[in-house]
Amino acid sequence: MPVYVDISRCIGCRSCEVACKRVHGGKGHVNVHMAGDHASVPVFCHHCEEATCTMACYTGALHKDGERTAFDVEKCTGCGLCRLACPFGVVWSDKIAHKCDLCIGREMPTCITTCPANALSTDFELASRRARTRAAMIAAHGGRR
Amino acid sequence: MIKVDASKCLGCFSCSNVCPSQNITRNETAEQRSVHWKKCKEECDLCVEFCPAKALTLVPFDESAPESLLTFDLVSCKICKSRYATMPMLKRIESVLPANLQKDSTGLDWIWICPVCRRSIEAERATKQMVLGRSRKSP
Repeated sequence: MPVYVDISRCIGCRSCEVACKRVHGGKGHVNVHMAGDHASVPVFCHHCEEATCTMACYTGALHKDGERTAFDVEKCTGCGLCRLACPFGVVWSDKIAHKCDLCIGREMPTCITTCPANALSTDFELASRRARTRAAMIAAHGGRR
Repeated sequence: MIKVDASKCLGCFSCSNVCPSQNITRNETAEQRSVHWKKCKEECDLCVEFCPAKALTLVPFDESAPESLLTFDLVSCKICKSRYATMPMLKRIESVLPANLQKDSTGLDWIWICPVCRRSIEAERATKQMVLGRSRKSP
């Protein structure tokens, strides 16, 4: 299941970036961007339904495996086409392609378990549920003061 | 020996990566990328098999034939002007992707923007609403 971000919770600490590098042998697939002083957001693979990287890959190394956009290292020639075919710039290619694999083999992607602000999850609905809860709390306490 | 069809070659990294005997080398400067196919006597066709553009063929060894060298000018990113890819590679991406996926929701031709700027645009878009809201609270 892809990883979703609750941007309002991201504190820009880059823990996810470091955690990703740690479990992928120094090659990370998360980039935390700052939006001035007001917000920050980690940028990483969306595991697109219509994944353009898989369309550009001619060996079948990048392919859809259910919801996941998976990568078969054995088939990769390192041509670099996938890097250019990702609209979000989150497929890298140096000698060989690498991208978010959702930490396959682990119970949960490491970025999620590491995030100290609980900004990352595999639950698409979580951010909107939190917003509804906040709204309900405010209403229960007699509105914003 | 390897024969290169210059009109088909994308200038990608495939053949130089798969060659087991370093007979294909590439050299990259800030503005150009060149690929050099040395005269090769190996009975191996990995480069031919893995060429995405089918630009390579094996021909009998010929002592007098010149070595093949192709040089590509790298294309500049529309935003930051850094050079990030060869024209044939970008053209190839353009030809394999359906037209509706080549522009994003704002009509941006993302293929002609480098991956670094693509990430920044994505981050900017994701945080836009939040930055507006937060800057209203604390101007």
